[in-house]
Amino acid sequence: MTNDQVQQVKILGFANWLLARKFGTEIGIRDTSAMENVVSLPGGGSLTCFLGEKLSNRRDLYTQLGWFVYYMISGEPFNSKNRSTTLLMLSWCLKYYQMDYDIEALRDFIRNMDPMKQGNSDISLWFSSNCH
Amino acid sequence: MRRKIIRVGSSRGVLLPREVTRAMSWDFGSEIELNMNKEKKELTLSTIKVKIPDEYNTDMMNEIVEILNENADVLGGIDD
Repeated sequence: MTNDQVQQVKILGFANWLLARKFGTEIGIRDTSAMENVVSLPGGGSLTCFLGEKLSNRRDLYTQLGWFVYYMISGEPFNSKNRSTTLLMLSWCLKYYQMDYDIEALRDFIRNMDPMKQGNSDISLWFSSNCH
Repeated sequence: MRRKIIRVGSSRGVLLPREVTRAMSWDFGSEIELNMNKEKKELTLSTIKVKIPDEYNTDMMNEIVEILNENADVLGGIDD
């Protein structure tokens, strides 16, 4: 993994640790390969939306969030609170980009998302339709 | 709010009303803090304040903690 990817794993691990402590669930990474997938993008790229450097356009952001959500939910890298960690990090990211969104609608989308039926492009489309 | 001390095996316990556990976002297995003041004969139950480890003390992580605290009820709505 690159230094950027390691940094993002630490951030995601921190968010997951906070949630697991707060809600009394199991702490820790379950699958390191799944964790690596979360911070990687197809074609050898890296997830960058949680590094504090703003992406130049919304389309790139929606694409990254699509891959992030897909790999978090399908791979379940943590022992618990995978969907909650996804929601917490998305909330941070959308706030950072000063975007309007309904957190309850986002929670429902993350809670009900089925990786067998919805792919990264469906998820990106949801963000482009619901976050402005 | 008044509660009676009840027997739980050989120990003594107090049942927390549902509206309290909901308001505090406490569930089965949640850890909470007990602070006893012997002089005042007071016992306080509180949510554990999560402290960020020093090496992780960045603005971003503080913002994540803030978002978690502001949206605990929404985040607690996902049972995973």
